Amino acid sequence: MNPRKLLIASLSLGFALAGAGQALAVEQVSKDTAQQTVDVGGTVANLCILGTPSQTSINVGQMVDTSTTNVGRITTIGNQTVSLPGSFCNFAGTHLTVTADALLAQDTSTVQPGFSRAVNFTSTVTTWANTPPVVTTAATLNGGTPTASGFGGDQGAPKLTDLTLTLSQFHTGGGDNLLLVAGGYTGSVTITLGPSAAE
Amino acid sequence: MKMRSTLFAGLSLGLGLLAGTQVWAQEVQTGDPVDGTVNIDASVAPKCLFTGDNPVQLSLGELANAVGNLDTSKVNNKSVTLHAWCNSAGSQMHVETTKLALTPALVPNPTGFVQQVDYTASALANAKTATDDTSVAGPGSDVVVGIFTGDVPVTLSNASATGLLLAGAYQGTVVVTLTPG
Repeated sequence: MNPRKLLIASLSLGFALAGAGQALAVEQVSKDTAQQTVDVGGTVANLCILGTPSQTSINVGQMVDTSTTNVGRITTIGNQTVSLPGSFCNFAGTHLTVTADALLAQDTSTVQPGFSRAVNFTSTVTTWANTPPVVTTAATLNGGTPTASGFGGDQGAPKLTDLTLTLSQFHTGGGDNLLLVAGGYTGSVTITLGPSAAE
Repeated sequence: MKMRSTLFAGLSLGLGLLAGTQVWAQEVQTGDPVDGTVNIDASVAPKCLFTGDNPVQLSLGELANAVGNLDTSKVNNKSVTLHAWCNSAGSQMHVETTKLALTPALVPNPTGFVQQVDYTASALANAKTATDDTSVAGPGSDVVVGIFTGDVPVTLSNASATGLLLAGAYQGTVVVTLTPG
């Protein structure tokens, strides 16, 4: 093929394309479509909510044996449960903390030998992270050091669930062989759901 | 002889042209007006234009209420005013929206939570309203807005999200398109 002819053909094609480009540009100018974008933005803050507890107080009833050779000493107290339905955190990296105060006698007078005015117990909350918080109070017989805390594992994703608090293993502070001082006893359990690391 | 005749004929033609020129010059010198017309043509293309910043930001702030659900008051009736014009009677407008979505998205979506908020956006131009809802794919219908210049308020409404909102930043867009016609 003649190289000269080939060169001319190439140039002609180039001009034709340039012409088409000009025509396209003219068409765009002749009918301008206008677009305006509104960027809409919002935020959702980190939030943890504990569901309303099924009961806000627990009455374990009579705590001592009244009819056997163990009379006056702690009896078997069944597990106590409280549910907190619809608990959630809307962000990752959260955990549960349980802080418990042992049951202490409202009678604060000096504890006589052979007696105790404290009942310890174990608290746990399921199910948040793989490792639940577990804490057992270790109050002394006269009511010293009643408070203890336990931390659960890290929950790596937002979660919505029904939590259950279980109280178990009720034992007399100082030993189950001690007699419990008569009267009312009060304790507490506080559940905290929040970020694993301080923010 | 024949060549001579041809020469005479050529001279006669030359004189004739010269005489004609003289006659025309005499007419101009008489002072009679003459007209010369120049026809001018031009066109104005159909066009629409938004004036002002593009894009503009509509910040809704905190979207969740105290218990983690969508606070619709943070979205509904929120608006921003655009400014535009169109110069042709057949001009049309439509709106296209995208959901307010957690950015970046969380995959998989945790049970019980949502990371998108649906809403309706409406744009008002020349007393004509175009709308689009994020729950329906694609842009909203075109409406004829004709020739106008002025404000184009864009307003959000009908916000909804069924579930607890995941924490984070949410982003969506409302695109208003004016097409001259």
